[in-house]
Amino acid sequence: MSHAQPQAPAVRMGLAIPNSKLCMWLFLGTEIMFFTAFIGSYIVLRMGSPGWPGDPAVTHINVLLGGTNTFVLIVSSYFVVVAHEAVTEKNYERARLFLTATFALACLFLVIKGFEYGGKISHDILPGRIPETSQQAMEKTLGQFDVATSNALGDLMPDEEHDGLRIAGLPTAIADAESPEEKAELESLQALMAEILALKTEVRAETGLTLDDFEERVDAMAAKESYAGFMGHVHVSHPIKYGNLFASTYFLMTGFHAIHVLVGMLLFAIPLCKPAAQLAEYTDYIENSGLYWHFVDLVWIFLFPLLYIVQF
Amino acid sequence: MADGHHHHPNYFMVFIALCVCTALSVGADLLSLDNKLVLAAIVMAIASAKALFVMMYFMHLKFEGKWKFILLAPTVILAIGLPLALLPDVGVHYYTVDVPQDPATGSAAETDEHVADGHGDSHGSSQPKSHE
Repeated sequence: MSHAQPQAPAVRMGLAIPNSKLCMWLFLGTEIMFFTAFIGSYIVLRMGSPGWPGDPAVTHINVLLGGTNTFVLIVSSYFVVVAHEAVTEKNYERARLFLTATFALACLFLVIKGFEYGGKISHDILPGRIPETSQQAMEKTLGQFDVATSNALGDLMPDEEHDGLRIAGLPTAIADAESPEEKAELESLQALMAEILALKTEVRAETGLTLDDFEERVDAMAAKESYAGFMGHVHVSHPIKYGNLFASTYFLMTGFHAIHVLVGMLLFAIPLCKPAAQLAEYTDYIENSGLYWHFVDLVWIFLFPLLYIVQF
Repeated sequence: MADGHHHHPNYFMVFIALCVCTALSVGADLLSLDNKLVLAAIVMAIASAKALFVMMYFMHLKFEGKWKFILLAPTVILAIGLPLALLPDVGVHYYTVDVPQDPATGSAAETDEHVADGHGDSHGSSQPKSHE
């Protein structure tokens, strides 16, 4: 190969593919290692953690949304090959149409993903925020009480600077209340805070208070009409074994995948900013971006069953 | 293009095959199989088939030269090597797993110093600990 005849047509050194394509494949080689490190570690961590949360009611994993996203990515992958085929056939309008559709599907994927993330965030399925034992669950609920009472104090005593001053000034505020309603409200808050303090002391003293007992106590407090206004956002948390590890791995893998989707959108946006006639210059570019996009699809093909379906 | 000289595969049929595979995965989940390992084997086999379709046809690997093996072999070896290296300690271990979240050991752990002394802090210790 290196001893080409002088009369022979110019022989190109190296592989019979464009350099850009070789570079893309080398990059994809590193990407394979990047994602298999995550996926491999996830599988191993999951195998080593008996009791991994699998119930969709607990994890808020929605298999139909995940399946829809799989379908969206498959369609987009198909559209990319059609766009590439069209550009090689010099049908630039068709290529542009299918690239636009791919871009739109990438947006749809992120919207669905955002919807899923929203569900998890609203249920506090976030790394480091999930109680894994009864004790932690009770502590988390007490934390919600603290936020609720702090908000109520702020609303009822806006003139004081911080919670410490508000608590200290509560008896005076009750005595100086301008109306019977305000007085009753302040007294209720004071009584609620006393009950929370008693409950907190009991939980922290580890007197053997079970989560069921704790829940009963909280339910009894919630049932009191005078407390109703203060306990709107409080609900008893329940422990999820390995919940934090689940949330960490879920957000790590789907988050990095979503970043790759964003990068793919950027890659497709560049030729889409050009007039259709100029797409001729982007034939290799579209093929290479397509390779990248298929890889993004490939990662999701494995993430979907591993995160959404497999439970053991 | 380097692959311009060969016929394009029927992309639409590949697309249909991928859609059918996705539907089969979701269908397998909806069957609510008792044996979760069987379900895992089914869906991972389907995922592998889908990955093969995408790589061979959409990514044209079926039509590329032998360079594909040289380029992908190291990454595949490393990709398999990492989970295998982690497996003995994290996945399969000879020692008893003692974690605060485990009801078998956790009942003791929850009432004694395990949670309070920082071994299982408020974020939940997720690393299995050796009894040794």
